[in-house]
Amino acid sequence: MNLNIKSKKNNTFDAIVVGSGMSGGFAAKELTERGLKVLMIERGHEIKHIEGYDTAMKQPWEIEHRGKTSNISAEERWANSRFWGLGSEEVVNHLTNDKKNPYIEKRAFDWIRAYHTGGKSMHWGRQSYRWGKHDFEANAKEGIGIDWPIRYEDLEPWYTHVEKFVGISGQKEGLEVLPDGHFLPAMPLFAPEAHFKNKMMERFNRPVTVGRVANLTQPQDIHTSLGRASCQYRNKCQRGCPYGGYYSSLSGSIPAAMRTNRLSILHDSIVAEIIYDEQKKRASGVKIINQNTMQTEEYFAKIIFLNAGSINTAALMLNSKSNRFQNGFGNDSDQVGRNLMDHQLGSGATASIEGFEDDYVYGQRPNAMYIPRFRNWGNDKQTAYLRGFGYQGGASREGWSRGVGADGFGADFKQGLTKPGAWTISIGGFGEILPDPNNRIYLDPEKKDQWGIPMIVTDAAFVENDWAMRKDIIASAVEMLETAGFKNVTPYDRPTHMGLGIHDMGTARMGRDPKTSVLNAFNQVHNCKNVFVTDGAAMTSASCVNPSITYMALTARAADYAVKALKKKDL
Amino acid sequence: MNRREVIKNVALMLGGAFSAPTLMAMDNWESSTKPNTNGAAFNLTSTQQKIVAEIAELIIPKTDTVGAKDVGVPAFIEMMLKDCYKAPEHQSFMEGLASMEKVKFLELNTDERRGVLKLLEQETKKITSKTTPFWRLVKELTLLGYFTSEAGLKASFEYVQIPGKLELIKLKPNQKAYAY
Ligand SMILES: Cc1cc2nc3c(=O)[nH]c(=O)nc-3n(C[C@H](O)[C@H](O)[C@H](O)COP(=O)(O)OP(=O)(O)OC[C@H]3O[C@@H](n4cnc5c(N)ncnc54)[C@H](O)[C@@H]3O)c2cc1C
Ligand code: SF4
Repeated sequence: MNLNIKSKKNNTFDAIVVGSGMSGGFAAKELTERGLKVLMIERGHEIKHIEGYDTAMKQPWEIEHRGKTSNISAEERWANSRFWGLGSEEVVNHLTNDKKNPYIEKRAFDWIRAYHTGGKSMHWGRQSYRWGKHDFEANAKEGIGIDWPIRYEDLEPWYTHVEKFVGISGQKEGLEVLPDGHFLPAMPLFAPEAHFKNKMMERFNRPVTVGRVANLTQPQDIHTSLGRASCQYRNKCQRGCPYGGYYSSLSGSIPAAMRTNRLSILHDSIVAEIIYDEQKKRASGVKIINQNTMQTEEYFAKIIFLNAGSINTAALMLNSKSNRFQNGFGNDSDQVGRNLMDHQLGSGATASIEGFEDDYVYGQRPNAMYIPRFRNWGNDKQTAYLRGFGYQGGASREGWSRGVGADGFGADFKQGLTKPGAWTISIGGFGEILPDPNNRIYLDPEKKDQWGIPMIVTDAAFVENDWAMRKDIIASAVEMLETAGFKNVTPYDRPTHMGLGIHDMGTARMGRDPKTSVLNAFNQVHNCKNVFVTDGAAMTSASCVNPSITYMALTARAADYAVKALKKKDL
Repeated sequence: MNRREVIKNVALMLGGAFSAPTLMAMDNWESSTKPNTNGAAFNLTSTQQKIVAEIAELIIPKTDTVGAKDVGVPAFIEMMLKDCYKAPEHQSFMEGLASMEKVKFLELNTDERRGVLKLLEQETKKITSKTTPFWRLVKELTLLGYFTSEAGLKASFEYVQIPGKLELIKLKPNQKAYAY
């Protein structure tokens, strides 16, 4: 056997999954469990579940700058540190060094990245909501963007499949706007939140529920068999959880794929290009560059899943040019990189609460309160904007930091701060952003990164619909907190850009027509069916609920389809 | 304005009557003494360090539990300013220290020092600049440094590293807050 053929054989798998994050992890699990030999390729360094969580057990005094962002972190993580708390030493080293991995902001975009095993699934807020029927229908009804090629019913069984595996704590509410899922026991609302919930129902007929969150309140066999244990209520999930109390690819999907003995993982390997076989009219594999040694290598497979995160997936497609795809892989429609969406974040209101002095909490709830969308829903019709928003937030008792803004110092002051302070509450909106082809990423025609790969340019911003919605997010938050009888109601509106929602999506959308979309109803690239895109890039619209379980459900559905098609020799 | 006038102000204030000229404003008259601060070169003289330590200790004094000095707050403040703040805050901090030096803070007795800090606290409220004023910086960093230090945290709160459960409870009289 000649050397080339031999190495080609060693480098050949049934499937390649690009990216080890939320959606890539799930792809690897589903494909290996269906018997495929899978190579998962991750551009970042390896983090091992449990032993890699170097800050998880650190005590407050062991965190050098005690949660504040140091100047060095702010400089190195110039994009990541724009998000609350991500500049802290608790997590900062697990987020991408933006200085070494810069992107070009034609229009500012808060791009939050985590290049390592598990991707952003290690740091996510774990809020998990199903989309509603309306979310799949709105584009067609309103003539926005293009229609989804699937409906809620197509995804419904896959939501259940994902929820069972992930483990989501939540309260069934029987709401059409926020379909119930398969839940573990719900976490409690705190006393002032329960009061708020009653008032909102009484005065506005608006339901409020406790957050649906991927933390194990009561682990099932499916979780414990992977070594995952009950949540210990430390609320330090972003550091990684040594108990596997919350779901991430590290605690869930990767171990599940590993135990099939069919998963191999390559770290430090940037997938730079998809290799297209012009004769077979199929993608044959990928080309990688080792991020440390610069060495390149090719890997081959029958099918390829792209799960690099919506922006990187689009960039990879755009960088993969061939005779057939001169405009970028699968990009006949010119939609790759376009329709970049997110959820707008950073506005809402806060208030102080009188009373409930006797109510306190033991443990830290890694969760919040959720107010489902009520705008442009039912009888509500807004003239200033389309779609709607949900609120996340909650009540808590003030800690010692209330002393900073208060008058006083000395012995009594010191003594007073050792007691729980008054209750306060804060709610913030997550608003739906519409697909707009002018909101996009593309590759810079000249500038390259340190590996010689063209640099990514972000060119997206909020439009009128978003600003009008934002005004209402703030006004409605104020109205609701005042109606609940809370005091010192204060609106907030943090200057932000797109991206801060960390729900970037839409850059290779699904659709029925290859002329206007990139993927079909099973996430296959229209014009190269053995490549599947199942991260946020696939999204045709954005809803206003957190998207990750939808990415996972799409992934599981596509993987099931892909394996069946392979068996039927359709691929 | 000289030291006697400042002390007169402080005395007036302690007697309940607020008077106009402020420590801050006073400082602005003498721009010649403005410290030169550019980012990286943030360093305190030993006198300045002593002032910071005394202020921190007045904010969180040693009582039946440890105080700011016991748990290393003064050095923490300096480290934090260096590592996490930039020129505008450095400037603001140095200006604050300069006015403390001007009133010969270290030569005042404890009551007088408290008086100066009370005045400072009130005057700080009038400052509209976007840069965090001196008083807010020392106060915030003192509280942060103290309540997150091992001894300060354990002395002040009920430290629970691994709660293991989540429970709605009723507060008992005089119950301390939990820290996690
Ligand atoms: C602080 C925070 C809070 C969040 N809260 C929530 C929440 O409450 N609910 C929710 O639903 N979502 C939340 N999210 C978003 C959630 O993390 C993402 O939706 C999810 O991780 C996206 O999955 P993904 O697989 O597309 O990308 P990622 O999880 O980011 O994974 C992509 C992986 O691909 C790798 N990669 C990229 N490019 C390449 C390449 N060229 N070659 C090889 N590998 C590559 C990356 O290194 C990474 O590991 C949050 C995110 C953060 C950071
Ligand atoms: S809150 Fe639960 S899941 Fe999160 S870190 Fe703590 S124990 Fe782990």
